Amino acid sequence: MKCPRCESKFVNVMVKSPVGDVWEVYLCDTCKFTWRSTEGENITDPEQYDKRFKLNPEEFEKLGHIPPIPPLTKNK
Amino acid sequence: MAYRDLREFLELLETEKQLVRIKDEVMPEPDLSAIGRSAPNMDSAPAVFVENIKGYQNPVVLNVHGSWQNHALMLNMPKDTPVKDQFFRLKELWDKYPIKPVFVNKKDAPVKEVIIENDINLFDVLPLFRINEFDAGFYLSKALIVSRDPNRPDSYDEQNCGTYRIQVKGKDTVAIQPLPFHDAAIHLRNAEEKNERLPIAICLGNDPVLSFMASTPIAYVQSEYDFAGALKGAPIELTKAENSNLDIPARSEIILEGYIEPRVREIEGPFGEFPGSYSGARLQPIVKITKITHRKNPIFENLYLGMPWTEIDYLMALNTSIPLYDQIKRDFPEVEAVNAMYTHGIGAIVSTKSRFGGYGKAVAMRLLSTPHGMSYTKIVIIVDEFVDPFNLEQVMWALTTRVRPDKDVFRVPYAPGMPLDPSSEPAGMHTKLVIDATTPVAPDFGRECELLGTPIGVEKWSEILRDLRKEGGNK
Repeated sequence: MKCPRCESKFVNVMVKSPVGDVWEVYLCDTCKFTWRSTEGENITDPEQYDKRFKLNPEEFEKLGHIPPIPPLTKNK
Repeated sequence: MAYRDLREFLELLETEKQLVRIKDEVMPEPDLSAIGRSAPNMDSAPAVFVENIKGYQNPVVLNVHGSWQNHALMLNMPKDTPVKDQFFRLKELWDKYPIKPVFVNKKDAPVKEVIIENDINLFDVLPLFRINEFDAGFYLSKALIVSRDPNRPDSYDEQNCGTYRIQVKGKDTVAIQPLPFHDAAIHLRNAEEKNERLPIAICLGNDPVLSFMASTPIAYVQSEYDFAGALKGAPIELTKAENSNLDIPARSEIILEGYIEPRVREIEGPFGEFPGSYSGARLQPIVKITKITHRKNPIFENLYLGMPWTEIDYLMALNTSIPLYDQIKRDFPEVEAVNAMYTHGIGAIVSTKSRFGGYGKAVAMRLLSTPHGMSYTKIVIIVDEFVDPFNLEQVMWALTTRVRPDKDVFRVPYAPGMPLDPSSEPAGMHTKLVIDATTPVAPDFGRECELLGTPIGVEKWSEILRDLRKEGGNK
């Protein structure tokens, strides 16, 4: 299985439905996208996931920090 | 009081025919999102209680604040109360600040009925779902989040309750978005400077006035709990968290206790936001959940947000307008009312009497220098004191009959803006637009014009017509 959003192969089952065996939720370790097995192919299929919302993990480092991490202060 | 917590408020809504129940099983996606979107589109929109969600144990309630009728009931007013009257009632209650909370023992707090400390799994308690199609995951959009200043851990007044969007990233892990200009970011900075964990409590399913206050821009040292008490005219019941010194509502449905990992940022978003567009992915802090406490049969309260108007627009409408009104009224007593309820105050309408020529323009500039108006408000319309700023038909009348574009409209180029406004360019800067739609007074002048009056007997005949309709029109 691949992440529908960033196409990483590092995806895991995060949780199974608490009642019945009716769905699973997957987590992408790379871009932290989560999706449920019962969602539409617009969400679950990497081929059909909207290109405007695809993510390239190589660009994550360039994203802004909210909020910024302050410098460490000593003896405070 | 008519209600003490979310449950009792939902009962009140049901009695007033402002709550509907869905008993048939629904899918988490796409049904819950579609229900949350559909409800506020209705006239006199109800809250929607969804009892049975496939794969989950607990119910969800949506659109609790999503109509003026529900908003009036929150203020203990008749459900057909006009918005302007709700505004003035709110102002009255606002001035009763502070009403201090009462503390109840942990063992007597309903939110401690069930305590989970091992094998934390948010999905066991919360029926989580995707709110908008391209959201990065499942979000908590209507949580009250409590934190304390780690440099002043005993200061009750500096304890903050705010609403921040939360993305679920694991069974016991979530992301949080404390924007730098919000109070929780100050607490986090003070903790991160020392490389310490910041304890937080994520409180879900609250008394509606608590959700209302958590999204209100009050001062850093003011307590949301004391304001909520003022709005209720009775103290809020608080208790202590299990793992920290935090004060939490004793009657919430569910509390997630945990801490923000210091000096860690991880990808969060995108998420559909209140301007009706997605806000992009950023690197944001991570929260580890270490304990869940909840009431028996807990109700998960969440909200849909997206293309206005949705529930969040009702929630943020008057709690944005009142502080602006307070701040302007101090210096300009002629100001009658402020409507800053469009897109969280990006648009604002002020009604005022004009003390002298050009007064409307001065009122507009004062609004644009208030803490919220300075960055959020992009378009200001000033109308006469007899125009109801909450009635857009009247405001359009003022625009069409009182504005001379050659002298009543001006711009302030390249001023502070609001980054979530997709028209701000660069993000966080915009040009202000002021439209003075007041009637000229001396030394300004306009063509002579006399306002039409109302015929004698209008009040009497209005009542007769109302009664006739109640009786079925005299058939």
